[in-house]
Order: sequence, then C-alpha cells, then structure tokens
Amino acid sequence: MLSYAMKRIMQLIVTMFGVVTLVFFAIRMIPGDPAAAMAGDNLSGAALEEFRRKLGLDAPLWEQYADYLLSVIRFDFGSTITTSLPIAGLMLKALPITLMVAGFTMLLAVLIAIPLGTVAAFLANKGKKKLDNAITWTAMIVDLMPAFWTALLLMLFLSLNLKLLPASGAVSFEDPSLMLKRIALPVVVLAVSQVATLARITRTAVLEVLNEDYVRTARSMGMSEMVVVFRHALKNAMLPIITIVGLSFGNLLNGTVIVEFIFSIPGIGTLLVYGINSRDYPLVQNVILFYAFVFVAINFITDMVYKKVDPRVQF
Amino acid sequence: MKQEAVARAVGQPAVASRPRIQLPYLSFLYVNKNAKWAMVILLPILLITFLAPFLPLQAPLESNIRASLNAPSLEHPFGTDKLGRDVFSRTLSGIKVSLFVGMTVALISLAFGIALGTASGFFGKTVDRVIMGVVDIFLAFPSLLLAIGLVAILGAGTVPVICAISLADVPRFIRLQRSLVLSLKSRPFIDAARTVQAPRLWLMTKHIVPNTIAPLLVAASITAANAILIEASLSFLGLGILPPEPSLGNIIKDGQVYLQQAWWISTLPGAVILLIAISLHFLSDGIREALDPRARK
Repeated sequence: MLSYAMKRIMQLIVTMFGVVTLVFFAIRMIPGDPAAAMAGDNLSGAALEEFRRKLGLDAPLWEQYADYLLSVIRFDFGSTITTSLPIAGLMLKALPITLMVAGFTMLLAVLIAIPLGTVAAFLANKGKKKLDNAITWTAMIVDLMPAFWTALLLMLFLSLNLKLLPASGAVSFEDPSLMLKRIALPVVVLAVSQVATLARITRTAVLEVLNEDYVRTARSMGMSEMVVVFRHALKNAMLPIITIVGLSFGNLLNGTVIVEFIFSIPGIGTLLVYGINSRDYPLVQNVILFYAFVFVAINFITDMVYKKVDPRVQF
Repeated sequence: MKQEAVARAVGQPAVASRPRIQLPYLSFLYVNKNAKWAMVILLPILLITFLAPFLPLQAPLESNIRASLNAPSLEHPFGTDKLGRDVFSRTLSGIKVSLFVGMTVALISLAFGIALGTASGFFGKTVDRVIMGVVDIFLAFPSLLLAIGLVAILGAGTVPVICAISLADVPRFIRLQRSLVLSLKSRPFIDAARTVQAPRLWLMTKHIVPNTIAPLLVAASITAANAILIEASLSFLGLGILPPEPSLGNIIKDGQVYLQQAWWISTLPGAVILLIAISLHFLSDGIREALDPRARK
C-alpha cells in the first residue's frame, strides 16, 4: 500500500509539473503580444513597456519560467491586473464556497443515488421491468440535461413561481441559515445530474453481483431480501461505484463553474469567468491551474480508496 | 503482390480488391431499435433545420420591437425575445452551429485519436511514454475547464471553440485507442501475421485499426453529444459563440434575464439541446449493437 502510494505520488508530481509547464506556455501562445492583449487598447508606448516590466514579461523566457515554478511552489501568484489584489488571497476566499457547494452536492447525490440504483437493480432482478425501465429511462434523460438549463428550469419553478428558495444573492459565512438557503438551489441543480449518473452505475453494478453464488447462499440461509441486497450485493458492487464517484468529480467541477455563474455565487468559477472577461490572464492561468490540482488530488484519493477497498487491485 | 501473399498466408481471403475497412451497413439505422429511436428524433430536427430558409419564418437576426416578448404562437412557435426576434428561427440557426461543432469535434478526435493512439499502443517504449505523458497532462484538467482555458487564449468564435473542445477530447480518444490496440496486439491473428513477416504498416492498417473502428464510432457519437453540450455551456458563459450570431447557449443566456416574463426564450432551445443529446446517445447504443454482436440482447 505504502510503496504503491509513493509510486502514485511520484507520477502525480511529474504530471503536475507538466500541467504547470503547459499552463505557463499556453498563456505565452496568445497570438501577438501578450502584454498588449492583457492591457487591451488602454496602453501604448512607454506605459505598455512599464506594464510589461510589471508583469515580468520583459525577462528571458527561461527566467520567467523559473520564476513561475517558484511562485507555484510558494503559492504566491502575484496580484491580478485589474484590481491588484493578491490572486492567492482571492482564491482562498472563494475556495470554501466552491468546496461547500461541491461537497454538499456529492453528499446529497450519494445518499439518493445509491439506494435508488440498488432498488432499480432489485426491481430488475425481480422481473418488475416497468418500474425499473421508468427509473433507468428517467436517469438517462436527466443525465443528459445541460446543467444551465436544469438550473433555469428549477429557478423558474422553485424560486420564481413557488417562491421556495432565493434565486441568487451574496453568500457569506456569517449567517449559516441564510447561506444554506442560498446554496440550496445550486446544490440541487448539480445533484440532479450526479444522481442520474451514479444511480445508473449503481444499478448495473448491483445487478451484476445479484446472480453471484454468495448472494444465492445468503438467500438460501433465509436472510431477508433487504439484507441480501443492501448488505451482501451492494457491498460487493462498491468498486465501480467508487470509481465513478471519483471520476464524476470532474463533471462536478465543470458544473460548479456554470452554477456559480448563474446564481452569482462568489466561488472559484465566478473568479475564472470574471478573469476571462476582464482579460486578466494571470488570474485565469492560476485559477485553471488550481482546478487541475484539485482534480488530480481527487483522482489520487479515489485510487487510494479503491486500493484500500480491494487489495487485489494491481496497477 | 506482397500484400496478397501475406493475406493468403494468414488464412484470410485476399482483400486487396475490396474496400479496406468494411463500413457498417447503414441498414442498422432502421433495423436496430436504439438507432431507430435516434433517427426518429434526429431526422425531423435535421429536416426542419435545413429547410429553414424555405419556411415562412422571420430571419434569425431580424428584429421587430413591436413584437417584443410575444408568447409562442403559430407565427412564432418558440415566441419572440426582447428585441422581437423569432426564437424558433434563431434556435434553428443555433442547431446548425451545434451540429457543425459536434460533427467536427468528433471527426477531429477520431482522426488524431486513431493516429496517435495506434502509434502509442503499437510502438510502445519511448513513443508510448511521450504520447501518454502529454495525454496525462491534458487529462489532469476537467474537460469544460480545459475548454474554458483554451477559449480564453484562442478567443471567442466557432473555430476557436471547435479547437478548444477538440483539444480537450483528443486525449480521451488517444487513451481509448491505445487500450484497444494493446488488447489486440497480443491476439493470435496478429501473431500469425507477424510470423509471416507482415510489414508493420500492413499490420496496423489491415489488422489493428479496422478492429478498433466499432468502439471508436460508439465513442465518437457520445463525443459529438458532449461537444454540443460544451459548446452550449461556453456560449452560455459568454465565452463561446458571441451574439448576435445565434447559438443555443447564447439564446438561453439572453433569455435568463426575462425568465419570469418570457419563459420560452430559455426553456425551449434548452429542450432542443436535450433532444439532440438523447438522440446521439441512442445512436451510439445502436452503433454498438450493430457492430458488436455480443452486445445484442
């Protein structure tokens, strides 16, 4: 386990090094003069040169690269162009909000999807085709709904027509109950598609083990169907489910950007869209880098959990 | 001559005169249940989209302030927006963009995926390590976020959007193709061809690539659906295809402000995206069942 973890960590460092390099050079691929592109049409002549010096774009490329690597290691990304606030500070302020939305979503999705998928598998196994079909078809369609469209539909019904939840507004940690209300709708929007994906995978995974010998043995010992399905079948179907939970974090991160944008939640995604619209390349560069870090870290944790749950797995 | 000799030696009929890659028979489109459903949804959408210039519709960009925010009616099936533009005709125009993006991204991903994935799986060693190293770097980003980052650099518009989405999808195809090639490489028929000294190029183009086409087409169909969703997301965020040029994403964005007064602007084009995505998923299931007899129930 430990040697495996070390090996994976080494791989991770190599990949992250590549990611940092890619992000660094991608920004320098902007057609024309990067400094001019960032400044827009506001600066010219001496002012532009001054701006270039401030960004460090006048130094030789290798020096800029070394500086950037150091800044990533020190978690000091300098300041944004437009507001001259420190980028690291902005990200640290936005991060808890995004993590909270993502965390609540995953929790809600797992709590709903796993029982739902298991029940669907149970129904399929019992030959109750209609109910099972209804669940799988709904899951498939819901899975394909674009997140921003689901968001607008729910906003239309839940906040504008029924006035159950606020559609948008500031999120602050000072008033927890108000904050929970504000992020309720975004969490539901994101959870809907996660539930659909997870429920489908759970159904397939449980269905596969329901015909195994040990399930038959459990039945023949007179255990109730509930115990058989939830204790014996579901436990052994956990491997593919864990993999998909890990993989779907990628989708979840994609979704948070859209949901934060729609509901004007001041998370990392909003920071990213703001950065692009104001051509604040240092900000964009580091936020994207940050997402990659989070994604890679989550994949690593998934692998570790997988290995822990099933020690037979060899990589 | 040499090719035919090899073909005879490995116990295959000489195929030199026949088409290299046997394309799936298109009859599966109306035989297979899933593919049939895909066609039932997709064909009417295609038909209306491409007949749009001949239909009595207001032009997508033509505005009429007097008919602002009109509810859906016979004249305007999807209603009108704030500027009095016909949402239905804008949607049709957006579908054309969406389908173009979806098709192009799928084709680009297929082409690069086959070329680089086959090279990586077939040659192994350094080639494999270099290609997979780069692929791993790209796969470290969630797909939409990579596309957002690339659009930030490449700028808005149809071509940058296609490039950005393709760059996010190609690594996935390379990885898929590589795993397919690796599993084929150790099969007896490849060994048989090798023992009679079949050239590498022959092995790749005649034995390996044709056997990977089925799973690749299944993946391509899903990639097209995803590309359409990502393009819509980018345009919705204001980073993809910019107004006034209509795209499904930016029509929905425009309608967000008027959600309460005019629900139709955002909701109806969104339903169209969903229909296209569903049909492409049916199509991929259909292709899988048509090309892989084991998948048939």
